[in-house]
Amino acid sequence: MIRNFIISGSGGQGILSIGTILANIFMLNNKYVNFCPCYGAEMRGGAVNCEINASDSELLTLQNSEVDVVVALNQTSFDKFISKVKKNGTIIVNSSLAKINKTRDDIKYIFAPMTQEAVKLGNIKIANSIALGIISKITDNFSIEKVKKAYEKILKNKTELIEKNIEAYLTGYNFLQER
Amino acid sequence: MSEKELLKGNIAIAKAALNCGCTCYFGYPITPQTEIGEYLSIEMQKNKLAYVCAESEIAAINMALGAASTGAKVMTSSSSCAVSLMQETISYACSDELPIVIVNVMRAGPGQGYIFPSQGDYNQATTGGGNGDYHTIVLSPTNVQECIDLTYRAFYLAQKYRNPVILLADGLLGQMAEPAELIDNPYPQIDNSNWRLDGAKSRPSREIHSLEVNQNKLNQHIINMYKKYEAIEKDECDFEEYLCEDAEIIFTAFGSLARHVKSVCNYYRSKGVKAGLFRPKTLYPFPYRKLNDLSKKVKIFIDVEMNMGQMLKDIRLSILSNAKISFIGKPVGNWLKEEEIINAADNIIKEHYASI
Repeated sequence: MIRNFIISGSGGQGILSIGTILANIFMLNNKYVNFCPCYGAEMRGGAVNCEINASDSELLTLQNSEVDVVVALNQTSFDKFISKVKKNGTIIVNSSLAKINKTRDDIKYIFAPMTQEAVKLGNIKIANSIALGIISKITDNFSIEKVKKAYEKILKNKTELIEKNIEAYLTGYNFLQER
Repeated sequence: MSEKELLKGNIAIAKAALNCGCTCYFGYPITPQTEIGEYLSIEMQKNKLAYVCAESEIAAINMALGAASTGAKVMTSSSSCAVSLMQETISYACSDELPIVIVNVMRAGPGQGYIFPSQGDYNQATTGGGNGDYHTIVLSPTNVQECIDLTYRAFYLAQKYRNPVILLADGLLGQMAEPAELIDNPYPQIDNSNWRLDGAKSRPSREIHSLEVNQNKLNQHIINMYKKYEAIEKDECDFEEYLCEDAEIIFTAFGSLARHVKSVCNYYRSKGVKAGLFRPKTLYPFPYRKLNDLSKKVKIFIDVEMNMGQMLKDIRLSILSNAKISFIGKPVGNWLKEEEIINAADNIIKEHYASI
């Protein structure tokens, strides 16, 4: 098994946070994994993306030209990274901040109003965890214990945020079933 | 033994340095290695160790030289264009025989370049930009675990041989996170009480300097340094061989790019082509002898680098057989992808190897 992901959006949306959590989840599931962040000089508002590769065997490829799953949390990254999805791969789009528009017919689309859902849950900042829930659902069905453990690792200095993020994660995880 | 942790290359280097007893760090921030200083600035203050954010890289390396002369375990870290600024003092430290660990997380050059990753400092690290006869030991990690392992080794070799050691990582490795285990430092402590400058209260005074006005003495000093380098070349060469045993085509690569090349070898093996990878972990001392031994049954060497062919020169010096030596490279930016390497290698192999 080799799986690779690009998660993209703008600075402040928590792109690198869920990228790190996803990489930790793979690690906790005893996979080989690497995580490559890419960001501009801006802390907030600039373009941010990261690539996560996971595998059952030693990871040799560090930079891919195409990936299995692209997650785009805004319009700019939707436009920029749709070409990076492998044939028959999936793009997960935050439809609150990007228009529903299918320009390729050889890939799968998942449009989810993540920002709106996050606002409904009471915190606009947890839209990223909704995205992570969707990723988890369509890739490996990770056990919730491992997911919680990964959140606890990353948010060890902000433990009060863990519960809300898990709630958002589960909202994302159940999003596809509910439709 | 601690459990695996998802670590950035830069953080892994910083953690390993602390773990093996680095007591002084001097540095100036520069992308893509700033996390090393950032991490150490917090941890070293907590542990009451010496952390100085210097006013420039020139100041940082000179502070390192001063601290090393007192016997402290010293590290500085920087990137390409700023390591250029350190060259004068690196030459001094070699002549002074001072153990300093210098981390270079390479970015794109020449000149200012930019923050893209690159492997363009092979020459700078292995042959140096300072004056006079000297060598620095150069270690090249390929993944985050090796960032830890080779940081330990860098400190050990620096102390053992009383010589600066350069840990030559790259921007991709510095920024990338992978699961790695912060193992215990496997190397013994080296006693430096016979040379360090720690106050001459109960012993005759000592001096450490590179100035020597007596030419016989200076000659002898350099000859003694070269005896040390001979021992280093004999005992400290390290490399990874991957499927080299029966290989007819050997790829050579160093650092994190070697992983792409390993994957290229797997591709050729699946096509029935006997390909292997030879990856030097020590760039100085370069494993000339081993590579020449391999060359006796190899038809083609293909050197792959993210520069215009800097290690290629050492490959050519190694191989005394009639094997063909080719090069695939690109100066800076995204690493050469497997398919790019395969496309270029196919042409080379077709030319010299009928069976593909």
